[in-house]
Amino acid sequence: MAALGAWGRAARRGRLWGAARALWGWRRPQPQRALGQDAGTAGEKKDGKPSFTDEAVQDLLYRMTGLDLQKVFRPVKQELKPPKYKLLTEKQLQEATKKAIKEAKEKLTMPPVLDEREPIDDVLAEDKILEGVETTKYIFTDLTYSIPHRERFIVVREPNGVLRKATWEERDRMIQIFFPKEGRRVIPPAVFKDEHLVTVFQQDRHEDILNMCIAQFEPDSADYIRVHHRTYDDIEKHAKYDLLRSTRHFGGMVWYLVNRKKTDGLLIDMIHKDLLDDATSLITLYHMLHPECQSAKEAEERKLQGVDLIKVFAKTESQKEGYIQLALQAYEEAMATSTAS
Amino acid sequence: MVQLGSRLLKGYRGGHVVIRLALGGCTNRPFYRIVAAHSRRARDGKYLEQLGCLDPLPNARGEKVAGLNLERLRHWLGCGAQLSRPAEKLLGLAGFLPLHPMTVTGAERLRRRQRAQEAAVPTPVVGGSQEHGETA
Repeated sequence: MAALGAWGRAARRGRLWGAARALWGWRRPQPQRALGQDAGTAGEKKDGKPSFTDEAVQDLLYRMTGLDLQKVFRPVKQELKPPKYKLLTEKQLQEATKKAIKEAKEKLTMPPVLDEREPIDDVLAEDKILEGVETTKYIFTDLTYSIPHRERFIVVREPNGVLRKATWEERDRMIQIFFPKEGRRVIPPAVFKDEHLVTVFQQDRHEDILNMCIAQFEPDSADYIRVHHRTYDDIEKHAKYDLLRSTRHFGGMVWYLVNRKKTDGLLIDMIHKDLLDDATSLITLYHMLHPECQSAKEAEERKLQGVDLIKVFAKTESQKEGYIQLALQAYEEAMATSTAS
Repeated sequence: MVQLGSRLLKGYRGGHVVIRLALGGCTNRPFYRIVAAHSRRARDGKYLEQLGCLDPLPNARGEKVAGLNLERLRHWLGCGAQLSRPAEKLLGLAGFLPLHPMTVTGAERLRRRQRAQEAAVPTPVVGGSQEHGETA
C-alpha cells in the first residue's frame, strides 16, 4: 500500500504540479508596483517583447477588429423560430443598442494565442519482465472529477513493459472519451488536414473553420496553431481581410501578421476602406513589437500622428510602398472632395 | 416487480466490500466495470459505487482503454475494501499498486514455455512457432 500515496503526494507538489501550472503561463504573484512605475514598461515582457495578453496590445487589436453589429449577430444556424417584433421608443431603442453592443463585446473576446506545447515523454517505470506478455497497450485514465484536465494522470503501459505518460494526442482523446465536450470529436475530423483546408478556403469559410478549430483543439496544440496559421496565410495571400473583420479571430490574425512583418496588404485594405484610425493602430502595434526598426525610431523622435505615421512607415518598412502611397493619395483626394462639396 | 425490489433491497450477514470487475456488454463483446460491491452480491448485481471501467477489446488505435477513479478507489481502500485478483493485476499494470506477483510469474511461465518450444523445434519454422505461440 506504500505506492498508494505516491501519486497523491506527487500530484500535490513537485514538478508535475508546477509544470502543469507553468503550462498556462501562471507565475508567482508579482509584488505590487507603484502606479506610475509601469508606465514606461507598459506592454514589455521580461525579454523586452510585448506579449499577446498585454493590455495595450489587446486594446489596439480590439480597436482594429471593428464592431459591425450586423455581422456579429448575423443568423447562426439554429432552429427556425418566427421573428419577434417589438415597438420601442427612441430611448428604449438606444438602450437595446447599448445592450447589444455589450453582448457583442463578449462575443468578440479573442481566443488565446499560446506557444506550441512541449511533447511529453516521461517514463514512470520500466518492467522488462512484462515484455511480450501483452500484445496491445493499456491506457489508464484517472477519472477523479475534481482535478483539472491539465493535471489529470493518463498513463500508457506498452507491450514491452514500459509505463509512460500519455502523449498530448492520447490525452486529448481520452479526456474527450470520458469527459466529452460539446463540439469536439474524439478523432479530429478530416477537414483539418492540409489538403482539405484548401477546399474550405476556396469556399471562403475561414471563420467557420476557425470556430471549429477552437472547439476541437486545445489552444497550445500543434494542430490548432497549424490550422490558424494556414488560415491567416490564405487570407493574407488573397486579401480577404473582410471575412474576419468584426469577428473574434481578427486580433489573432493581426498579431500573426505583425509578428511576421506581413502587414502591407492589411494596411492597404484599411486605407481603401477609410479606416485611418485602424491603420494608425496597426502601425503603433508594429512599433511596439519591433521597437528597433527605423520607422519606430523616427516616430518616437518626431512624435508623428495619423497620416504622417503611415507615410513614414510606408517609406521605411513596407515592401509595397507604391501601393500604399497610391491608396493614401486616393484617400486624401476623397477627403478633399467631400470637404469641398 | 416485487421480486425485483426484494433483490435490490437484500441485506447480507457477514461479507465484506470488494473491488472487482463486473462483466457487461453483449455476446462476443465483453465490457468490465470496476465496481465496489459486497462480496456476497452477484457479480453483475447491485453495487455500492462504480469506480471505473475497462474495455478488454483493443480499439482502432490498438489500445485497451481503462478508466479508474483513483480518489474514490483510495476512499474505499481506506474503508477496508479488498481487491479481486484481476483488479489487483489491473492496478499493478496501471502503476497504482506495485506489480502483482502472479503477473510476474505468468510472464516467466510464458517465457519458459516459449523457450521450451524453441528448443523442441531446433530449426524454427516461422508458421509453426507462431501457431504454438497463439495456442499457448
